[in-house]
Parts: sequence; C-alpha cells; structure tokens
Amino acid sequence: MSASWVVDVLFWLLAAGSLVTGWLVFRTDSMVRAAFWLLASFVGVGAMVIMLGAEFIGIVLILMMAGEMLIMAIIMVMFMMNPAGLNPMFMVHQHRASIVAGTTAFLGLAIVAVLTSFPDRPVASGVDATEQLGFELLGGSMLAFQTAGVALLSTMIGAVVLANRQGRYGSADEGSIEPDLDPEPSAEDPGSGTVSDAAGGRS
Amino acid sequence: MTGQGVHPMVAVTLIGGLLTVGVYIVAVLDATLRALVAGHPLQVGSVLTGPIRRAALLATTASGDTERPDAQGWALAPALLAGLAAVALATVPLTPQVSVADPSTGFVVFSAAIAFVMIAVFLHGWSPNSPWPLHGAYRYGAQALAFQIPFLLAMLATTLPAESLQIGEIVRAQEPLWNVVRQPLGLPLYLVVGVGVSFWGPLNLPDAADLAGGTTAESSGVGALLWQVARAAMLVAVAAMGAAAFLGGWWGPWLPAPVWMALKTLVLLAALVASRHLIARVRLERFVVICWVVLIPLALVNVFVAGAWLL
Repeated sequence: MSASWVVDVLFWLLAAGSLVTGWLVFRTDSMVRAAFWLLASFVGVGAMVIMLGAEFIGIVLILMMAGEMLIMAIIMVMFMMNPAGLNPMFMVHQHRASIVAGTTAFLGLAIVAVLTSFPDRPVASGVDATEQLGFELLGGSMLAFQTAGVALLSTMIGAVVLANRQGRYGSADEGSIEPDLDPEPSAEDPGSGTVSDAAGGRS
Repeated sequence: MTGQGVHPMVAVTLIGGLLTVGVYIVAVLDATLRALVAGHPLQVGSVLTGPIRRAALLATTASGDTERPDAQGWALAPALLAGLAAVALATVPLTPQVSVADPSTGFVVFSAAIAFVMIAVFLHGWSPNSPWPLHGAYRYGAQALAFQIPFLLAMLATTLPAESLQIGEIVRAQEPLWNVVRQPLGLPLYLVVGVGVSFWGPLNLPDAADLAGGTTAESSGVGALLWQVARAAMLVAVAAMGAAAFLGGWWGPWLPAPVWMALKTLVLLAALVASRHLIARVRLERFVVICWVVLIPLALVNVFVAGAWLL
C-alpha cells in the first residue's frame, strides 16, 4: 500500500524535527516560545510512536501535551512575572551544572540504547493494537493502572484542597493559622483558640 | 474495518471542498438568522453575496503590524486552526462507504484536534504582543481547560454502545436507536462545548467585543479573513461530528445516506450559528464555574446512564 521508503523518510524527518525543536527549546529567549517548541518536539515523538504501531498511545501523547504545554506556559509566565512572555529573557542558567547533568543523562541513555537488545517482534498487520491495549488495561494490568489512577485522583483532590481559599483554619485572606498544640486554654490567654488570638499570641 | 481509505489527493480535495462549502453556509446561515431574529426583511441577494464581498474586502485590506510581534506564530495560528478543523472533519465518516480517515482511535484523534484549538487561539492572542489579544488568549486558556473534561466525557459516552473508539463503529451502533435518544444529556453537553470550541456567540470570550475584539484586536487584512474562515471551519467540523456521534450519522429512512448526513450536519450547524443571535455572551467566571460544577457531574451521569443502558 505504501512504499517503505516513504515510511523511512517520514520517520527520519520526524526524528530530526523532534531533535531540532527540542534544541530550540533552549535557544529561544521566551518562555511561551520554549513551551511551544517543546510541544512541537513531543508531537514529533507522538507521531513516531504512531508509526511504531502504538496508535492509541501516540495520539493520547499528542492530545495530553496540548493542554500540558499551555498550562506550563501560563504557570511559567505567572511565576516569572514576565507579563506576556514575549519580553526577551535569558533561558539558560547554571551552565556548568547543566552541562554535567546533560552529558551524564545523554551518555546514560546512549549506553542503554546501544547495549540493550531490543525485541524484534513485528506485529501482524490485522491486529488492532487499540483493542489489545484496552483488554490489557482492563485485564491483566488492571490492578496496577487502577492503583495509579486512584493515586493520581487523590493527588488532584489534594492539590485542589491545598489551593482552596477557604483553608482548614479559616480564610486565606485573613491569614489562616493552625491552633496551638496545647489544647488547654491558659489562664492569662482566655481567647486562645480563635484564629486572630492565636496569631496575636505567637507574635 | 470500515470506510476504505480514499486516495490522499481525493481526501484533500474532499475535505477542502466540504470545508469551503461549509464555511460559506455558516456565513449565509449567520446573515439569514440575524435577519430573522431581528425581524428584518430577508434580502436574499445580499445574504448570498455578502460573505464573498466581505471576504474580498478583507483580502485586499492592508495588514496591520504591532511592535515586536512573533510574526511566525501570528501567521501560523489561523493556518493551525484551519488545519485542526480539517483533521477533525477527516475523522467523521461521511457515508457507510466513504470516510477520509476512520482509524480505530478516531475519537482520540478528534479530541486531540479539539485540544490543539487552545494552542491555536493562545498563539493567535499571544503573538501580536499587544494587551487586548493577550487578555483574549488567557481567557481562552481558562475557557478551554474548563470545557475539555465535559467534552471528553460527553463524547466518551457515545463510544460505550459502539464498544469502539472508531467513529464509524459509533455511527454503526446507532442503527437501532440514535445516541440522542439513548443519551439525552449527550447532545446538549456536546453543543455547549461545540460553541465553546469555535468560540462562537455566547462563548465567544477570546474574541469578544468587550476586549475590543480580543485576539483579533490587532488582526486586519488576510490574517483576519483567515482567522474567521478557520473559526467557521471549526464550527462545520463540530457540527459534522455531532451529527455522526449523536444523530445517527447516515442512518435514516427513504433518503440516501449522504443526504441524511448532510441534513443532520446542517441542522446542528444552524443550531450552533443561531446561538449567536439568541443567547447573550456568558461571563467567563460563570462559564468556568458552570463547567466544573454542573457540566462535569452531568457528563458523568450521562456516562453512567450510557453504561446502565448496556447492562
């Protein structure tokens, strides 16, 4: 149906594209541009995963990265107080440590890639990988995936609770402070237990 | 496996042609509904030629410029949005025999296209390096992140009767009963989100008039034209997928399959376009709260109802 050289060319184009856009993440001078170059890199990786026959995983990777990179860009701009993210800024810091960390990680991954004997089991053309993945997720690997799912859900609920303005000890606007460990209200501090008095007593 | 793949050139021509016709229909529907709602006499000639005149005017207008824009991103955004509309429409099976792309993960491909709309809109608002467009971009970020989950859940419920993520299978599973009957909450949820995806009418928050045009505040000329065309193309893709996923796609008595598909798409397109003239613009804060507090629980109920139907 499709000539194999087309597949080869496509693969190398995607691979080169992912590398170049990944490199551009560190060459650009804007956080929003960096996030979008990273997104482009991940889309290339997702497309290569699709070419490997893992259609569902590849497309889900691309789907998830859209939202994640946008959130990342907005959060970075918020933290850096760079209102638009368009103002040029230096994106690379701590050169020596970064070079050491980058080289070590590259060598480690390269050694693994060269020394590992990857399995070579071509999938028959009639197999629907999406269906098989579904049966695996809700069959043999159900416990692992459901455990991870519940853990992620509780993390999300925890994050929402932490970010909530109405904290456990009162509104964050008024400075919510946990009560003293000493449960006995002392004689000279009859009002201890209320938020404002606890704050006053500590200062 | 359904919908034998068509030749790439045929696919490109088909999607391009359908989107061109669809965008023109959106413009005509918009003018017609505006006249009907306002009670003006319908001037057929001006309704039919108006869109072409406006497009010609925009195409010949000089493009404006801002101080230090991200020129590439600014040029890319309308093309990205139009491309996403094409990807989304490509996953919709048109007839039992013809579907441009009907992979076993069609639902995920369509969702990925919808998710990337927020990248396109954010890029369009961020790149001009100007305050109003940037406000629009941030607005759409909040809006899109809020409607993503109701959208995914509403669409996910339609994959349950089909036992497949393939859109062709979703349509085929509706032969006995359309999803709009089986899952009464699904279509309303989908339409709310569909209006949001195309930032149209009541949910046109990123390009709203209260932001002096939002992400389009600095656009003029060809860029503004392409952005409007791409947005209308997104409406067409959303309506076509709604017809396939909820209104039974090509199923229907007496008429041939493609006619049914076109009719259902037109009905949904008219409903989406009419929202602009019938419903006032919603405040962003209210919409975000409604999404998280009302629409997500409703969408979950919808999934449970769809699951209970199968038991």
